[in-house]
Amino acid sequence: MAQTNITWIEGSVVENEVHMTIVELSHASCTPQELIMSWVTEGVLSPTGASPEDWRFSGDSLRRAKTAAHLTHDLELNVPGVALALELLEEITQLRALLNRQI
Amino acid sequence: MKFQDYYETLGVPRSAAEAEIKAAYRKLARKYHPDVNKEAGAEEQFKQLGEAYAVLKDTEKRAAYDRFGANWKNGQEFTPPPNWNEGFEYSDGGFGGDNPGYGGGFEGDQSEFFESLFGRGRHRQGGRGGQQHQGMNFKGQDHHAKILIDIADAYNGAKRTIALHMPTRDASGHVSTQERKLDVSIPKGIKAGQNLRLSGQGGPGVGEGPAGDLYLEIDFHPNPIYRVDGKDVFIDIPLAPWEAALGTTVNVPTPAGSTLELKIPAGTVAGRKMRLKGKGIPSAEPGDLYVVPTIALPPATSDAQKEAYQHFEKAFDFNPRSHLKG
Repeated sequence: MAQTNITWIEGSVVENEVHMTIVELSHASCTPQELIMSWVTEGVLSPTGASPEDWRFSGDSLRRAKTAAHLTHDLELNVPGVALALELLEEITQLRALLNRQI
Repeated sequence: MKFQDYYETLGVPRSAAEAEIKAAYRKLARKYHPDVNKEAGAEEQFKQLGEAYAVLKDTEKRAAYDRFGANWKNGQEFTPPPNWNEGFEYSDGGFGGDNPGYGGGFEGDQSEFFESLFGRGRHRQGGRGGQQHQGMNFKGQDHHAKILIDIADAYNGAKRTIALHMPTRDASGHVSTQERKLDVSIPKGIKAGQNLRLSGQGGPGVGEGPAGDLYLEIDFHPNPIYRVDGKDVFIDIPLAPWEAALGTTVNVPTPAGSTLELKIPAGTVAGRKMRLKGKGIPSAEPGDLYVVPTIALPPATSDAQKEAYQHFEKAFDFNPRSHLKG
């Protein structure tokens, strides 16, 4: 009987193991670096490091950056609008989770 | 192929002015945006809105579309007449382009109806992936996909073969959706909403640039028994009234596949959670498994059962509505 050897691809969990540079985050979220910088200025993303070259974004920045990119493009929100929407969405997620715990 | 009434999709009359169309689109887009609306079907609805708006906001496309007249209804069988759009010129060659949004981003997102009228969108450039840069090297495009796994996979880790549908373009420019199978190892402890990065599994690089990465966003299949919040897991355990009042021992199935024996103390109240520390989704600091007791009331159908309830009534001086005045 023929034996097939499957090579299972191992990934890394972005939220736990990955810290991205601005170049990587820009690439992964299809967003220009300038826009990412404006999100940092507005407090949407909070990287560690002093200057953009040194910035390291924690893994959950990818999810936030993707949502921010969608909202910017699809609803033409400006930077403060994206910041507000993300805060409200986060609050809704927390409330839903709370509700889910109590059902 | 079904006709799509783009005016109906946006809820505007055929005579609507540009500003009215834009306002209607914006209002519905905010409502159905997949990042905002978590209802099933919202993403599909949002794509339809994007498609309708792409046609109606564009003077040329709208004029061409309006040629079909007002008699066509949503869902009616439809074949565009030959040369129907003769004399119309579209500045952007259709729809789409390079953008990170949901609305008309990816080729293959548009309906058959739209494609037959306005063609496929421009080739999505994917950052720099699709362009010709002689002598230059760029990393390929990063791809994103969503996959559903079982809660048990997060407890035990798993090996899964997943099928992804990727739009690809051949040498002659023809676009087709191809299925791509990937054998992926799901790491133990992964949680809903997290992303798994598979290096080098995204779009091909340009020149000698490396391939892009593939990001798999994880979500759990809906489960009839367990609810998950981050790394904590919840299970409802129904108890008979006498079990809750007198105490008992119940078997609690865990998502990992094992069974735990849990002592239910006398006087247990519905909704008062019991925490099984560390039995949630595993990680360096594992989550907890919460047992939520509910009280199941047996129906009184036979005479003996009715009598049993009457004994209850006599034995207790119990008014469940004592806190209500009047």
